[in-house]
Amino acid sequence: MKNEELKINSDEWEIGGKTLKSRLLIGSALYPSPANMEDAIKESKAQIVTVALRRQAAGENAGGNFWNIIKALNIHVLPNTAGCHSAKEAITTAQMAREVFDTNWIKLEVIGDQYNLQPDPFETVKAAETLIKEGFEVFPYTTDDLVVAKRLADVGCKIIMPWGSMIGSGKGLMNPDNLLAIRKQFPELKLIVDAGIGKPSHATQAMELGYDGVLLNSAIALAQDPVKMAQAFRYAVEAGRFGYESGTMQERAFASPSTPTVGTPFWHQFS
Amino acid sequence: MIKVSVNGEIKEIKEGLNVHQLIEALEYKTKGFAVAINTTFVSIKTYETTIINDGDSIEILAPVQGG
Repeated sequence: MKNEELKINSDEWEIGGKTLKSRLLIGSALYPSPANMEDAIKESKAQIVTVALRRQAAGENAGGNFWNIIKALNIHVLPNTAGCHSAKEAITTAQMAREVFDTNWIKLEVIGDQYNLQPDPFETVKAAETLIKEGFEVFPYTTDDLVVAKRLADVGCKIIMPWGSMIGSGKGLMNPDNLLAIRKQFPELKLIVDAGIGKPSHATQAMELGYDGVLLNSAIALAQDPVKMAQAFRYAVEAGRFGYESGTMQERAFASPSTPTVGTPFWHQFS
Repeated sequence: MIKVSVNGEIKEIKEGLNVHQLIEALEYKTKGFAVAINTTFVSIKTYETTIINDGDSIEILAPVQGG
């Protein structure tokens, strides 16, 4: 790859009709304070932040201080359908989010199991199909199942977000081979690893697999120092992407010295 | 008067209110929220023409933190 091409690929990418520089998508929940959230998002350099909708009490400002902070960041907002357990619930939530947040982007989450928050693939595909027909840009949260990814692509998803592992678990990539299979099968789709990332090295690993981005929340928000961790993830995602673009060396089953062997003073040969 | 559920709370309201009037009656003062009735989205464009019925379940949602 020419240096010029590499630079372009490293600097900018496209998702959902937007051109971005950052490949880190960040959540807005679980921070110690709104100010800390704001600082962490800024430090991450993320250009997409996930948000949600919940019941609003009468007499309060809709969204309150939180929404004012997010708006002031002037980055792209990705509303989610967290907490939905059916296609119908997710579709209604997406329609409400489109009106409130003034975006056709939706992070589609339809949970199939309350214990491990595993997405329901059947309801997710059903909801995705309807939402795409209604003009949404769907970012579906799914497992690392190749066939589910295929079904989502079949109904028109241009973006797929397989999990690394369970939401909030911090376990990293449970099945990197599965993630790689999805990457190889769908080179034309935008693929984001969503959920389960716990450490910066997990994000790097996802990017080294050729994923287009990483979406995470808990790993930053629950760190001892979320702002510093946001910076760590920024670098980790960049490092992983650069590594992928550079083309990693072939793994070998044997040792091979890197220092030249010619001219080595092998004292032991004369003993 | 009719009984409806608003965000999970049972409330008594006047019969025949539309969504716009309901929001005023409940003292939702600012914009920036969205409404669903019986799990169906109600667009802001149809607030005036959507009448609240006895037993309706109304959800009024606003932005919060999310992952």
